[in-house]
Amino acid sequence: MPMPIVNTLQILGIMAGYLGVTLLLPWILLRKGLREVPGAAMRFLAYFMAGNFYIMNLVFLLQLLHISNRLTLAAGTLLPLLAPLYRHRKEVMPRLERMFSKVRVLLGRETGKKTLLIRMGRRMKRLSSGETGMWLAAHGPELLLILGVVLLVFYLYGSNAVRVYGYVSSDMVLHNYWINEMSRNNIFADGVYPFGMHCIFYYMHAVFGVPVYVLFRLFGVVQTLMIHLVILASLRTVCRSRYAPYAGIAAYMLTDRFYEYAYYRFYASLPQEFGMLFIFPAACFAIAFLRERNVKGRRARQYLALFAISVSMTLAVHFYGTIVTGLFCVGIAVGYAFRCFRWQYLKRIMLAGVIGLLLAVLPMAAAYAMGTPLQYSLNWGMSIITADSGENDAQDTDGAASEEGQEKSADGQGDGAGQEPAAPKQSLVRRMQGVLHAVLNDIEYYVVHGRPDMARFLLGSIGALLLLGALWMLLRKYEYGAALLSVGVFMAGLSLVQSAITLGIPQVVEVSRHAMYYAYGFAAVWSLCVDAVLFLLFGERRQIDLGALGALAAVCAAVGVTGIRTPVLLSAYETNGAITCLNNILRENKDGDTWTICSANDERWMVYEYGRHYELITFLRDMADMEKGPTITIPTSTVYFFVEKVPVLYLDYINAVRPEKTVSLEGAKKPLSTAGGIYPYIEEERWVTMSHMYYWAQEFKRLYPNEMEVYYESDDFVCYRVRQDGYNLYDFAIDYGYNKAAGQEQEKVR
Amino acid sequence: MISRRNYISISIIMGVVLFLCMFINNLKDAWNDYTVNDCVEDASAYPSRAGIFLPAEHAGEDAEAEAAEALTGAAAVTRNRVVCIGGPDGELARLVREWAMYTRRDMDSYPSAEAYREGENNTNPAELLVVDPEQIRWEGEDTGILKACVDQGTHLVFQSLPDPSVIRENEAAGELLGIRSVEQEETTVEGIHLYEGFLLGGEKIYREEEGDETGYQDMELTFPWYRLDSATRVYMRGLPEDEAAKPEDYPPIIWRKSFGSAFSFVINGSYMEGPAGLGLLSAISAELYPYELYPVVNAQNIVLLNYPGVADENRDVMEQYYSRSARQVFQEIVWPGVSTMLQKYPIGSTCMMTPQYDYEDDALPDGKQLLFYLKMFNEQSVETGISISGRWDTPPARKLAEDQAFFEEAAGGYDFASLYAGDMEEEEILAVLQEEALSSVRTVVGDPGREGTELFGFLSEYVTGQNAVWDGLRYSFRGDFTIRCVETAVGYLSLSCDMERVAYPQEDKDLWENLSRYMAGSVDSCKGIIEGFQGTTVSECDIRLRRFLGLDFEDSRTGDTIRLRANETGGPVWFLLRTHQEAVKSVEGGTFTKLEDGAFLIEVTAEEASIELEPAEKRYYY
Repeated sequence: MPMPIVNTLQILGIMAGYLGVTLLLPWILLRKGLREVPGAAMRFLAYFMAGNFYIMNLVFLLQLLHISNRLTLAAGTLLPLLAPLYRHRKEVMPRLERMFSKVRVLLGRETGKKTLLIRMGRRMKRLSSGETGMWLAAHGPELLLILGVVLLVFYLYGSNAVRVYGYVSSDMVLHNYWINEMSRNNIFADGVYPFGMHCIFYYMHAVFGVPVYVLFRLFGVVQTLMIHLVILASLRTVCRSRYAPYAGIAAYMLTDRFYEYAYYRFYASLPQEFGMLFIFPAACFAIAFLRERNVKGRRARQYLALFAISVSMTLAVHFYGTIVTGLFCVGIAVGYAFRCFRWQYLKRIMLAGVIGLLLAVLPMAAAYAMGTPLQYSLNWGMSIITADSGENDAQDTDGAASEEGQEKSADGQGDGAGQEPAAPKQSLVRRMQGVLHAVLNDIEYYVVHGRPDMARFLLGSIGALLLLGALWMLLRKYEYGAALLSVGVFMAGLSLVQSAITLGIPQVVEVSRHAMYYAYGFAAVWSLCVDAVLFLLFGERRQIDLGALGALAAVCAAVGVTGIRTPVLLSAYETNGAITCLNNILRENKDGDTWTICSANDERWMVYEYGRHYELITFLRDMADMEKGPTITIPTSTVYFFVEKVPVLYLDYINAVRPEKTVSLEGAKKPLSTAGGIYPYIEEERWVTMSHMYYWAQEFKRLYPNEMEVYYESDDFVCYRVRQDGYNLYDFAIDYGYNKAAGQEQEKVR
Repeated sequence: MISRRNYISISIIMGVVLFLCMFINNLKDAWNDYTVNDCVEDASAYPSRAGIFLPAEHAGEDAEAEAAEALTGAAAVTRNRVVCIGGPDGELARLVREWAMYTRRDMDSYPSAEAYREGENNTNPAELLVVDPEQIRWEGEDTGILKACVDQGTHLVFQSLPDPSVIRENEAAGELLGIRSVEQEETTVEGIHLYEGFLLGGEKIYREEEGDETGYQDMELTFPWYRLDSATRVYMRGLPEDEAAKPEDYPPIIWRKSFGSAFSFVINGSYMEGPAGLGLLSAISAELYPYELYPVVNAQNIVLLNYPGVADENRDVMEQYYSRSARQVFQEIVWPGVSTMLQKYPIGSTCMMTPQYDYEDDALPDGKQLLFYLKMFNEQSVETGISISGRWDTPPARKLAEDQAFFEEAAGGYDFASLYAGDMEEEEILAVLQEEALSSVRTVVGDPGREGTELFGFLSEYVTGQNAVWDGLRYSFRGDFTIRCVETAVGYLSLSCDMERVAYPQEDKDLWENLSRYMAGSVDSCKGIIEGFQGTTVSECDIRLRRFLGLDFEDSRTGDTIRLRANETGGPVWFLLRTHQEAVKSVEGGTFTKLEDGAFLIEVTAEEASIELEPAEKRYYY
């Protein structure tokens, strides 16, 4: 089966599983309880948040109790379903009886085929009745637009997942390891860390049996789709026009004006991006609560609860999300200042926020109290509050090294007014101009990269939104205006954070990663701007929707003129061949621990639970000095050797740079790296390591021509397979002609 | 009252039932003539001694002339050449010559490495050099000569090893043999582990379990323990009593050292002797190339010697052990057991009859009993042959005359196609074959392990000789190993079971309950191989042997297709194809059967056949 088809089917499978437990199950359980929540969009957000929250915390609970496995997770998932069943137990049995009697009648051929077809025909007729037609007429265009968004996400992001099989981010391996450890009920294996996403991944792995490495490869598409659908649903709860949100989202997704690093991370399945799922819903529920007149009402309480769990999940997944959500809350506080600071609102929303944070902190605190140390990136996160901003800029959050943008972080001090030493006192206007200039520069660099006009347009958009918000406040549409102002203030705040280093304020979010949030926010800014203008033009009249469709068309045309983004094929950390091989190996070897992959690092955690892994650099180093008569045996019946003919370019940040350097004699003649960790697999060292491995494989194949077979080969990758008797192992240590070089280097180190 | 219609129906049914019960057997007897031996036919219709392939000696000489012939296309079949260093008349040379004949190779032999160097000057390098280490001067320059052979691509096979002290002192010898160090000059193991993929039949552990006193263990258990070098692969190891060592360090018995240009195969022990050596050489040659195709006989038979006896002999002893007469024992106890085994395994059977064991006593053979057996054998496709070798002192000529008189009286005469001659000398056999009673005989069965004879071949122009591979009533691990070897080499199995032991038991072991266990053990231990090849009677096997011996072939591979051209031998011929990570997809001009992973039996029915190969596995994801 071609791998692109496998990937597509796996994406669909993962999506079905994930949405099944985070949308379908909550819908079954909560649709009656949430009937007072107005609008499909708001209910969609509510179900989605509730589903994610439940699964996340179910996993947390079971993991901390060390009883997490497929059975307990499945039982925990289905448990809430039992409550309504018990409540309606008297109805359940007759209903089941009716159902089974129908099946019995059908199977017993008491009902003939014709009768069955007639009944089905009647049902179809009912579906195609006027009622359905009316529903479709009302919602059809929107369904088409939603479908358009879905297809656009699949086109822009899914095409990479389907065609590039490897991990596109270097730190995915680390997360893979953490999730693997959860299979042994060892949560927080590497220290306390926001494990929300890991819980979801682990759940998908444990319950649906999706291998963790497949989730990391492909879940990004589902995640990115939901990120876009969530902002769409959030905007639908605020906008007056039905179609205005599509205009903003279309502009955000289609334009090529954004710097690629402002959306590259969407291609990966990473916690920061997963956390973006909960930012807008949190704001949305906060706004919905503030719009409620009856703060003690059931609906207000539900909004508060949903706000709390959304906030909770932002922190449970990645604290960058919480920081951004916090900033959003500040924006809402400003926008809804006329209501937010009333004690009855303030105390409740503050309490909900605190409870949300506590809910997220609780599992981590419990683990910390039980002696698990903080993961090092959390330590950094906590220390940043007191640290000097200048020290922070070189830091990284979760193991990922700096991206291109960081280069500027390190030396880009000259742009900002706040950084100039002993600056003479300036007037407020001059200082504001300086700040604006600094912000513009940073946006230009990090968000739109070398497009000053676009940077000005972005800031202008925020300004326009603020003005429109103020205007609508003046027009006494306080709720609407407040929502516009909230988003405007939020985005203005994000603009300042984007330029934190330059302005000399603490850098709470790493700049290049912050650009992701910032660019994403413009989907909302532009949508709201369009909506506000259309609302001005058409008011409450129905033509506003037509106007929105027109605006959508105009936006598409504008994007078409200025440049449309095309799908990117990223450079992966494993070759397509390696992943194809891995899939085949897992399929062919159902018995665990009967096979070993000898490769450069990444497969180590991918094959966890299924087989064994032998580190390639260790393998080569073990035979460095043949005069000592080393012996290398691998105690499994099958051994696979992954050799990259064109070694992967391990740049440590998400990129689309294609490796070109092939393994060669020149590389094999160079000594192997003696560095620890993954350094022997990075850039030049990887080329040397792979060159050694390639020539080892060539020599081994020469010595064992019938025993070593080419299992899979492509232009840039080759996998060899050696089968052996478990009681008659081969000695893989051979003199391949270049062992000495490595040995000499090792001697030097000693 | 019963209606007429029902009356007629009932009558018809009763009539049919009566007919089926009463007359079927009578009709069968009437239509069959059990006293005529279907196996008797004119041997001149099949390849005779004149047409068999014989390995050419010194075929590798004059390499330049050969190359020129090849260029002009005038060259005949270019065969691989195997050279033996061990003297032209030695046991090793005889073994190598026999193997070369069976696998259609040319063969040369030299008494020493020095002679080899001189003799091989200006010839194409041999494919395989089989070395008797006793003929090698390890301290001299012989090691260099052998190393030079390896460097120019000639594979080495060491029939056995020199003394450990020689290896310890001679680093070059150790390197050539793939030995890193001498672990122990002598070790005694408790079993032998034969790994999968070398000989046919898969993995086998020759070890008696604790407390098991079957007496099966007769392998060579004491030998030097060497630690091997890198780039080696072991095919058979000893299993030490003390299992402290890692399995991969257990004492190796058969291994290979790879030099890149060629291999050096080493046998640590006396396994390269007798028919087993044929199998080891075939298994080794299968390791040399991506594929190996060689002819096999594809015949498996069990020969019940001196069975049945139809005279009521040794009555007192038989009554003592079985409470039955000898005739009853053979009919009621032995035959059902044999019959069941023949149905269970695809192995043909031939009974080498002797009407009476002792021609000096008063117990005369029973003619009715003879007819009973002839009928039984006919129905079960068992061939009836005649035995002229046994415990009696009666001269063969007199025995034959007595037997002939008995057959004439009981069955109106009976012609035999096969003869059991035991360990009689070839000249004696040829003399006996001149007797009128044996004029129809075209194949002679010999005892296993007959000195100085080939496994099978021609005794005269039209009479073949086929030796049994092992004694079927004496199952042992060495026997099992030998069977595997011979099946691997030529796809041939012949188990001889001397049933006279049942009629004249010497000890408790000779009781049928024990002998039947040995017999079943012999067949059952090689079940995996036996199921792949076909069962034949001795006469059917004779036809296959003639075709096998008269066969000549050449093969070539282009891409995934092996083209095979064989000469006309008057019927199908069989080849064994051994591959590595490849499987047969289809055969044009024949059929194929998978014996095991990497081993296929190809039946070729046309002069030209093409075998299409495919990867043994295909990747599901791509």
